[in-house]
Amino acid sequence: MSNCEAARALLMGAVRGRLSATEQQQFDEHLRTCPACERLFARERELDRLFLARPPLVAPASLRAKLEAQLNPEPAAKPKAKPKSPWLRAAALGAPAIAVLLVALLWVQNRGSRDQLSAEAVNDHLRVLYASHPLEIENGGMHQVKPWFAGRLDFAPVVGFMGDEEFPLQGGAVGVFIDRKAATLVFKRRLHVITLFVFRAEGLHFPVHGDTKLGSISASSAHERGFNALLWNDADLGYALVSDLDATELAQLGQKLAAH
Amino acid sequence: MPPGERANEAGFGLELMAQADALYAFARRLCRDSTLAEDLVQETFARALDAREQFTVGSNLKAWLFRILRNLFWDKKRRDRRNPVDPRAGDEDSEASSSDVWLRGDLELERLRRLVSEDIQAALERLTDDARLVVLLDLEGFSDVETAEIMSCALGTVKSRLARARAHLREALREYAQ
Repeated sequence: MSNCEAARALLMGAVRGRLSATEQQQFDEHLRTCPACERLFARERELDRLFLARPPLVAPASLRAKLEAQLNPEPAAKPKAKPKSPWLRAAALGAPAIAVLLVALLWVQNRGSRDQLSAEAVNDHLRVLYASHPLEIENGGMHQVKPWFAGRLDFAPVVGFMGDEEFPLQGGAVGVFIDRKAATLVFKRRLHVITLFVFRAEGLHFPVHGDTKLGSISASSAHERGFNALLWNDADLGYALVSDLDATELAQLGQKLAAH
Repeated sequence: MPPGERANEAGFGLELMAQADALYAFARRLCRDSTLAEDLVQETFARALDAREQFTVGSNLKAWLFRILRNLFWDKKRRDRRNPVDPRAGDEDSEASSSDVWLRGDLELERLRRLVSEDIQAALERLTDDARLVVLLDLEGFSDVETAEIMSCALGTVKSRLARARAHLREALREYAQ
């Protein structure tokens, strides 16, 4: 391709990663010989980065409450039958209260550990988004990215998924998660950046009961400052997957990652 | 309501709630008014619930919801008749000239990197509603084909409108960065 007009017709497709292999090759060849198109391509990508680095806008809690009410209109109240015996009445009142207390204790314990990990994961994800050069090794497939971590970490990150067309692997870097080194792997889904942190799980409190099944693994989901996070541990490694991608799609990637 | 139907209803509700943030962010950036954005999202939910039989299970729920919201926004604009007119709208020649101006020197890229979120929003607000719509839908990850369906226009219109809008954005941001 020697023609700038043809290259610019492919420009947005190239920025979005939607070109066919042949088109991508033609586009890359043209860019190697045309500084003007190369600069325009860089600026389109920079424009995208600027847009995506903006703080996410999330629906206010008051709006979410109104939407929930729209979805679940209050059913008409039904008269409740009372137990006849005072003992039965006491048991009827006491047993649910104890059950609620136990569930609440478990929930608070789960939520505390989940919130701490998800807050850290979102902070680290934001660092990736805002960094000028977040990747130390660019995408060449997991077979290239994984060996790169050897010697840079005191553990081997176990990640079975190498990226595919839906979730292409962008690259990796060594980061820090709370107080320890972490393998940072960046995937994409359309325009969304997804960061996976793999780190030693020792000493961190993962929620006991997850709410999202990733194959045989039970992960815990969290929603924090407009980002979705999935947290799980497997053997002695911890995993945190974060993105502004919606929870369903994030879980799809989580399933691929956990299936090793 | 039979249990199966109730489960379907609950599942549909969960899927709607999963899109609440994206719909709100889209509405907020589109209409630049938080109260109006909330109204639009609530109305979108109401329409979606009323018309859920028209939605084909397995098709793109997100695109369907965005289309409802876009139509509601457009209806409101028509009612208000307060759509600001951008003198550059439809000016095909200005695209090439602004693009050429933008290509001057690498310094421009460095300036672009120093821009802040407020500059981006201000530049977006300088676009016409149609141009802003196509930029926001593109950034949301919709393909050109999906955007054409949401906006009820031809694929070629989406492509040219997007290229023109981004050229205007780059031009506006070049001014902010100086």
